[in-house]
Amino acid sequence: MHWIALQPASDAAPPEPALAAAALPADPHTALAWRLLQFTPMVARVHDALVLEVSGSERLFGGRAALLGLILQPDAAHAQGATSLLALGRLWSGAADALIDALPLQSLRAAQPHLPTLARLGCATWGQLRTLPRGGVARRFGADLLAALDRAYGDAPDVYPWCSLPEVFDAPLELSASVESASAFLFGLRRLLAQLLVWLRARQHGVLALQLLWELDARRSNALHVDAHHDGGPQGRLVLRTAHPTQDMQHLQRLFMEQLAHVHLPAPVLYLRLRTLQTQALGGESLSLLPQDLRHGDSLHQTLERLAARLGADQVQCVQAQADHTPENMQRWQTWQASRVPQTTADFAHANAALYPTWLLPKPLKLVVHQQDPQYYGPLTLLVGPQRLEGGWLQGQPALRAIK
Amino acid sequence: MLGLSHSLSFSLSDIHADVWHADALGTPAMQVYPTGDAALDAQLPGGGWPVGAMTEILQAAGVHSEWRLLLPALMATKQAVLLVGPPHLPFAPALAAQGLTVQRLLSVSTTLASQRLWATEQALRCAEVDAVLLWLPPGVKDAVRTDQLRRLQIAAAEHQKLLFVMRPDSVQDEASPAVLRVWVGPKLSSQEDGLEVQVRKRRGPPMATPLALRARAPRLGLLLAAARNHALDRATARI
Repeated sequence: MHWIALQPASDAAPPEPALAAAALPADPHTALAWRLLQFTPMVARVHDALVLEVSGSERLFGGRAALLGLILQPDAAHAQGATSLLALGRLWSGAADALIDALPLQSLRAAQPHLPTLARLGCATWGQLRTLPRGGVARRFGADLLAALDRAYGDAPDVYPWCSLPEVFDAPLELSASVESASAFLFGLRRLLAQLLVWLRARQHGVLALQLLWELDARRSNALHVDAHHDGGPQGRLVLRTAHPTQDMQHLQRLFMEQLAHVHLPAPVLYLRLRTLQTQALGGESLSLLPQDLRHGDSLHQTLERLAARLGADQVQCVQAQADHTPENMQRWQTWQASRVPQTTADFAHANAALYPTWLLPKPLKLVVHQQDPQYYGPLTLLVGPQRLEGGWLQGQPALRAIK
Repeated sequence: MLGLSHSLSFSLSDIHADVWHADALGTPAMQVYPTGDAALDAQLPGGGWPVGAMTEILQAAGVHSEWRLLLPALMATKQAVLLVGPPHLPFAPALAAQGLTVQRLLSVSTTLASQRLWATEQALRCAEVDAVLLWLPPGVKDAVRTDQLRRLQIAAAEHQKLLFVMRPDSVQDEASPAVLRVWVGPKLSSQEDGLEVQVRKRRGPPMATPLALRARAPRLGLLLAAARNHALDRATARI
């Protein structure tokens, strides 16, 4: 067993508990715990420090030295040990390679309430406490101190309520200044997306649907404002969906910026909140061994999503074959969706299709007839036909068509 | 003396092959897709539509011979083909009958020229798109500037894509960053099935005489001839 105790850098002076509880994901402990969960599932928070056990995953990351290089940041205080309490004791006493018997009792959390008594007994280190008779210690200080001492020396197992990632990513963010236009969300959004990326990586998920919420300034809130993003309440929302689960934050950010460019804010905004609505487990991407097979550029669905975000979803279209004999109903150009099952070439095959023109007017045009010759950019010549196509009494008038 | 005899036997063809002679077609080291017409291939540098370069196709109002010219090249591509601002609805069953896998077609319809140019550039940057067809009719609201087209030319060259820009023939006197400029129109004088093609700009000498192609795809021509014979047979039978 190899335990590491870590203290986040910004936590030199412990913050007030109320403040720490209010801003949970912005809290450095949670952020650090999320980052550490990619190395080992055994991460726990003990008071103002984090402990993690890494002996199980050393080999995966190329040995203990390589793993420590990944885990440890230069500005964070840390200590290591064979048990979690030893690592914590070394961290709190500030002596990274002190012997276990020489550690001061101040660095054992269970001994904190009894420190004056122990000092009067002439007991200052862990080793001195351990030499005292167990029965007497248990009667005088309770079983907790002995249990902690056993765990510190490895005589009892270390069990913690392990940190885990929440099922749903939901992070609030207070903006540093109130924002009047939605396109200025970018700075806050980037921070939220960075957190989202950590969460997605640790869970090995890709995001399918996201929701961005913003809180309108209550003093100037226009309660009657209703549009696609505001329902008259103090909150506005924007839902973003992607065709494939993705961890590409650049792509998400570009989609958000395209969408936010259309959002009109009725009042200034101080708080943002990002929430995942739907995620999906993400398989790893298989890359080619040969460098020339690696493609450079965006994938098709990313490009089309970006086009749809700026131009409108119904402007990006693909063709769908329909079983009908009238030319205008043989095909339909409809909104592109990645989930649609592709049709086969046989669906587009029609008996006379080779005779049909390659372009179709969106609406049938009644041609001007001049001396029995229909006119369209000049007189038209009849090449084949005329064909009489029953439009069907269900849909409208029967039509007579000639094809040039 | 020796040097003089050398200079006398010197001819233009001795210059290094990398030097392009202005009286011959350029042979750029770029990939091309054959146009499907041997006569047209012979007039294009490299022998087909260039990949990684912008090709301008100039047409008069109401003329739409894009599919006739481009279908063989589009059929040879493997991945998605993006149509930006097609003037009418492309009729998929007819295109499929000529051999195009129409499921690869994607259409982006927007009226603003600036949006069309943006969409085209985005599509050129996409790894899964092989060809982009852009229509810039004269009716779109904001004018197209040369530097915007140059951006597209650079994007096409960087990402090695087929790029065709359909423009009205009124812009033929303006400068263009396109590597290849082709004018297409129906040939009215001779046979009814004529299509006149003029290469207005290419890496090579100016084109002396316009090219006459058949306006219809070979299969359509055969079918029409068969239909006409059939009608003729019926008419004679009735008599």
